[in-house]
Amino acid sequence: MRSVTLYHWEPNANSGKPMLALMEKGVAFDSHYLDLLSFDQHKREYLAVNPQGTIPAMLHGDRVLTESTAIMEYVDEVFAGPRLMPADPRDRWRVRWWMKFMDQWLAPSFSMIGWQVFVGPAVRDKDPKELHAAIERIPLPERRVAWRKAISGEFGAEELEESRRRVALGIRMLEEELARRPWLASNQYSLADINGFNLAYGLPVVWPELSNDELTPRILRWLRTIYARPATKACWAMGRTSMAQRVAILEQPHTSPGQPA
Amino acid sequence: MSTTLYHGEPNGPSLTVLATLFAKEVPAELVRIDLVRGERHTLACAQEPQVAMSVEGEGPVLLVEGEAMTDSVFLACYLDDVGQGAALRPTDPYGRWEAMTWCRQMIERTAPAAAYLGCRAHPPGADAALLERIGSVDLRARWEQILAGNFSEDHLGDSRTKIRQAVEKIEKRLAGRQWLMGTFSIADIESYAWLAGMVPLVPEAFAWRPRTEAWLARVKASPAVAKALSLARTPEPAASWSVGPEINRWG
Repeated sequence: MRSVTLYHWEPNANSGKPMLALMEKGVAFDSHYLDLLSFDQHKREYLAVNPQGTIPAMLHGDRVLTESTAIMEYVDEVFAGPRLMPADPRDRWRVRWWMKFMDQWLAPSFSMIGWQVFVGPAVRDKDPKELHAAIERIPLPERRVAWRKAISGEFGAEELEESRRRVALGIRMLEEELARRPWLASNQYSLADINGFNLAYGLPVVWPELSNDELTPRILRWLRTIYARPATKACWAMGRTSMAQRVAILEQPHTSPGQPA
Repeated sequence: MSTTLYHGEPNGPSLTVLATLFAKEVPAELVRIDLVRGERHTLACAQEPQVAMSVEGEGPVLLVEGEAMTDSVFLACYLDDVGQGAALRPTDPYGRWEAMTWCRQMIERTAPAAAYLGCRAHPPGADAALLERIGSVDLRARWEQILAGNFSEDHLGDSRTKIRQAVEKIEKRLAGRQWLMGTFSIADIESYAWLAGMVPLVPEAFAWRPRTEAWLARVKASPAVAKALSLARTPEPAASWSVGPEINRWG
């Protein structure tokens, strides 16, 4: 048994962050895939590991770590391999600022729309009794509300519109920031890029009218450069659903303005 | 290195950054701004994305060599890195993970609740011309709701619950220890900064919490926090509130 065990779903959003950080550091880990769409994260076996029922969670020796962004900082500090936090204190501040902005402001908007169009429909056809029981098992009350809304398609028009506004603004902000330096938060590849890739790799598929080679060339270059890294390729190869497969669009070369995408 | 801190009364995020700055003896010019009147939006750097879109809401701004930096916990981490003296985060990676996850809970759950309750009890004020300068649409919307006195009962109830939960967590954590992370740290400063003003507003959360009560007094008396509090211009700085982080939109 390896000293690190990671409980995760797809290489996507929160699960993908520690997966990719571990792989960039070259740390071998035991992978426990939890199927979010079968509510594996709320089953007794996993609640014994993380009583909050959130994913991901990482075991290192006998310690349990949660909160994907904080896990990434831990992974970077505790294991050898390339440093994923810059040495300069101001660069480190910028990495953390962007991770918080994405985690707390931008990602929930992507996520609300993602749950509306992907997660909700994917579980809606299950037996209603089974669904009800599954929701009742969710430890955090906020997550119970989120699941109920996703399953019944109850996100209001206003909140979806607000999420769309944030997605469009977030995309513009990323594009502008990537004009300042080669990577999102510093001149070296960092945890902010790993975090950002998990959020944004599907952009050209899900939001082609907002993010494409013509409108957001820097975002597309950034995503392709990250996807070209061996760790990213290996990480996304662990995906099992069509969601993770959206990454394939990044294998296509840059399209010049005027050419069909 | 030229460093300027634009800060408000020593409460909430301004207290976190001031106390850390003093603890780490980082030389900086201190410039008072009235966060409660939205004066941050009149700064030359107000439209920089890291200022305009700071998740923290109306917090202090640290200007280092022309770069405008926000978000008090991360400013505290920065000051901890560049300053002198004892580290304000644990030195081992697991301890630092604990400190960062602790602060994340404070940022994400406690701070929005405290700011919401604080603004209701001690409403901030900004005029229409100033509101128009606010770059973030959602921050401006929060200002408008608060200025109009629109506080939802759901959010008020949820906020009181979040304060109770934070205090319960602190009480539990302090079993057998003086400070949340073992030694005085950013986690103590940040937790105190958001909770000190909640004692009179959510008194039931603090009832029969002897360890928390002693810890609040200990943090208040610590040299760096005491120095920050000495900058207060109002009799009760913990009653000074401006628009804070957004309450989670969902899940």
